[in-house]
Amino acid sequence: MTLQDVIATLQSYWAERGCIVQQPWDAEVGAGTMHPETFLRVLGPKPWRVAYVQPSRRPADGRYGENPNRLYKHYQFQVVLKPAPADVQDVYLQSLVALGIDPAAHDVRFEEDNWESPTLGAWGIGWQVLLDGQEITQFTYFQQAGGIDLAPISAEITYGLERIAMYLQDVDDVFQLRWSADRRYAEVRQEEEYELSRYSFELADVELHRLLFERALAEGWRVLQAGERTALPAYDWCLKSSHAFNVLDARAAISVSQRAGMILGIRKLACAIAQRFVGEQEAGLPSKDQAHA
Amino acid sequence: MPDPARAEFLLEVGCEEIPAPWLPGLREQLAHRFREAAEREHLRPAGVCSLGTPRRLVLRADLLTRQPDREEKVWGPSLKAARDPAGGWTSAAVGFARKSGGPADRLLQAPKDPASPSELYLAFDKKTAGRAAADVLPRVIAFVLRALAFPRRMSWDAWIDDGKGAFPFGRPIRWIVALLDGAVVPFQVHALAGGVRGEAVVTSGDLTWGHRFLPRGEAGKPLRAASFTDLSRRLAGAFVILDPSEREARIREALAAAGGQPRDDHGLVAEWRDLVEYPTVVVGRVPAEFRALPTEVLETVLVHHQKYIPLGEGGATSRFAALTNTDGTFAEAVVRGMERVVVARLRDAAFFFAEDRKRPLADRVADLAGVTFHQGLGTYADKTSRLVRLVDAMGAELGVLTRPEHQAAREAARLAKADLTTLMVREFPELQGVMGGIYLTAEGGQWEGVARAVRWHYHPLSIEEDAPPRGAVGGGDATVFGAVSLADKLDSLAGYFGLGLAPTGSSDPYGLRRAAGGAVRVLLDFWSADAAEKRPSLRQLVAAAVAAHQAQLKRPAAEVAPELEAFLLDRLRYVLVARGYPADEVEAVLGAREPDALDDPHEAWLRLKALHRVRSEAREDFEHLAVAFKRAKNILGEQPAAAVDAGLLTEAAERELHDAVGRLAGTDGAYEGRLRALAGLRAPVDRFFDDVLVMAEDERVRANRLGLLSQALSLFYRIADISKLGGQA
Repeated sequence: MTLQDVIATLQSYWAERGCIVQQPWDAEVGAGTMHPETFLRVLGPKPWRVAYVQPSRRPADGRYGENPNRLYKHYQFQVVLKPAPADVQDVYLQSLVALGIDPAAHDVRFEEDNWESPTLGAWGIGWQVLLDGQEITQFTYFQQAGGIDLAPISAEITYGLERIAMYLQDVDDVFQLRWSADRRYAEVRQEEEYELSRYSFELADVELHRLLFERALAEGWRVLQAGERTALPAYDWCLKSSHAFNVLDARAAISVSQRAGMILGIRKLACAIAQRFVGEQEAGLPSKDQAHA
Repeated sequence: MPDPARAEFLLEVGCEEIPAPWLPGLREQLAHRFREAAEREHLRPAGVCSLGTPRRLVLRADLLTRQPDREEKVWGPSLKAARDPAGGWTSAAVGFARKSGGPADRLLQAPKDPASPSELYLAFDKKTAGRAAADVLPRVIAFVLRALAFPRRMSWDAWIDDGKGAFPFGRPIRWIVALLDGAVVPFQVHALAGGVRGEAVVTSGDLTWGHRFLPRGEAGKPLRAASFTDLSRRLAGAFVILDPSEREARIREALAAAGGQPRDDHGLVAEWRDLVEYPTVVVGRVPAEFRALPTEVLETVLVHHQKYIPLGEGGATSRFAALTNTDGTFAEAVVRGMERVVVARLRDAAFFFAEDRKRPLADRVADLAGVTFHQGLGTYADKTSRLVRLVDAMGAELGVLTRPEHQAAREAARLAKADLTTLMVREFPELQGVMGGIYLTAEGGQWEGVARAVRWHYHPLSIEEDAPPRGAVGGGDATVFGAVSLADKLDSLAGYFGLGLAPTGSSDPYGLRRAAGGAVRVLLDFWSADAAEKRPSLRQLVAAAVAAHQAQLKRPAAEVAPELEAFLLDRLRYVLVARGYPADEVEAVLGAREPDALDDPHEAWLRLKALHRVRSEAREDFEHLAVAFKRAKNILGEQPAAAVDAGLLTEAAERELHDAVGRLAGTDGAYEGRLRALAGLRAPVDRFFDDVLVMAEDERVRANRLGLLSQALSLFYRIADISKLGGQA
């Protein structure tokens, strides 16, 4: 099964189970959780089911395309089920079957692994799903997002697409993955890994990124304070500040004491946005149904 | 013949995977809470037993099928409060009578407290008809489920009808079996929708589910259970071993069969036991190219990251044992997957190992200026220079290190933190210290004691006598290790206390209790000096550690030092009690004014050992002496004792005591011998209190007698404050 077969299979599997199939967020994010389809949709009472691929950038994990297991950018397949159905684990396991993994012929386990994002003021309870000792999925019951206790509780299922495809194709090197019938992962992405790793470790302008970080946060607050129905653009700026932070981190330009302060800065904005989003939903402002229109 | 008045209760709570480390505690709580609730409901529980796996908590018990009818006395106001001055009933009495359902005249008047039989209270007998157990059990179930404490609970949009509503739990509950002699006990968990009760999401029944995936093709079909035995049997057929000890036995058997007996299971068997429902152990290979990696690195990858147990022959790790939740049919494919993960991790580790060794460790010391220790306490470079300063204080001012020990400890202190900048420690933080030691040994040219001190200086992490580095460091090396370990711990303690970050309640984010316990243990178990003058005074070390922070601390040294001393004394007390000594003996030894336990904890421990042994030989003597000395202390109070004038001793009993004290004052030598001799004071002291009036009219006689008592007391003070001993222990 090629990498694109894995994606197509998961998309149709979850579409059949009532998920809208969204597209990746069009800005740099570190994880599928940061996509507004997760971070904002889990807030408030409205039921929602969504699935999408999210390219996730982790500048500090870049290895110039030389490490067979580590990437600057990897692909997550993200599913959010709100509220979490009672058979959510079984439905997830059936998706593995759809991928050709028979759980009865492997060792598939749910092992405790709780998730927390200090920058988003979000955390959840859950497991990593291990397939013969390899972590292939993070499974989380969201408890809080943007500092707000959630009700109902959403289930978030995050598949590590490369890991799963490597398993299915029995390869040890991510760059040897078959992306399609005739193209390898290396052909599609290795140069990008090199250039982006080099940029974030060597070339990125530290002063510019400090400025970007500060300005993005400031713009987020300014937009939010401009009045009603501004949570979404403010969140865009929140994500930009988060990415600037990650670049600075990869450049080793953040001291331990600065780090805590910067994370807090992003979290404060994220929490204010979440408050606004929930408040407007409750107030029945049009933004509730027209978000992302 | 089963007792018709009793029935078997069976409860199975089916959950999504509960974290393994929680399960032993949960099983215990389940039995405990159930017993508590069933007793309160008069169901007289017996044979309570709890079992469970990550996916189910199971309890069985024998109960009365019906609560007995009960009659209890309900007490009202005392007669005094029930009568007004005119002899009529007060409103309190009338109100109480209303509760009884009759007039106040018909109430009983009876003594409530056996100690004052003349004081009468109003009362009535209340009869309660027993209810059927089946009617009471739903509320018992609700109580038990609500009462289970989890290290972390989650909201799962659930609600139960126990008056409290929203029902967080450890993991979502997916089914409940609740049977009383085979009949379903009704119980429901509802959805919590918009803050109020929604539809039922779990309804108790007699259906259970087996292993998630086994047997192949049959999994996912419900199984009907009629009793505990029936449930266990059916689950066993569905690849679920309910009993944790059976799972453990299966694991141990498999490990034995795997051969290459593990030197150490790293505590994994205990965790494995509760990680799966049907444990099957498989064995994978560590490729030969990685066997040259240090054992500690290999084990960290295998044990900490994958929870696999290293297996090997002759010290080398060549294979690993891994747990699966399978029947082993497809072991080969499973192992191939596991080996792939292990290889990827080991490849990283081998890369780090090679990269790190391109620079000598000493070169990295300068890089520590870029690594923050704590915002208020500077970088690791700052910490390193404080450690060196503290070791210098031990070598020079305190004079407790020989010259070569001082040199080695100084070098070890300088290098102790350097490995924090290595790739290996950045990837595997649990290898801090260890890697420093390994890299130093690999570089050669050092006194091996330096490498060992670096390797172990984060230890001791546990207070048990035989915990590491017991056996790993000895002789002069133990002192070098001790010096660096003490310096590291006391520096952190002084720093955090100085910032006002001492632990409070259960919150100890910087691990300061463990650090203080480790410091105490260095002095108890590792510092090699036989003579007291070669052992450092903890009090002086605290002063030196506080001083090493210079003006950086927020709080004045005069406040920090006494607080830290009290904290360390408390940890010393904790360690000694944990080693099995009765609390009163520990108090007696730590309470001795001279010598001070903080000046020499090791010596305090020797006194404690002696006191414990001698007291157990002469328990009665010590009981008498403890009572007498408590009395003596009360009489003496805080006033200074006068010198004793033998000429003023008139009574036979006081002369006898004076002679005994004089005889014993010269006793010298080991604590045990001295204590045995001092136990002989019992008779003269008892007689003294029986025959002699201490508080004599004549002031001089009184002062003289007080002085004599004080002398007797002080004989013990050099070993233990014997008045702190309790009557029995």
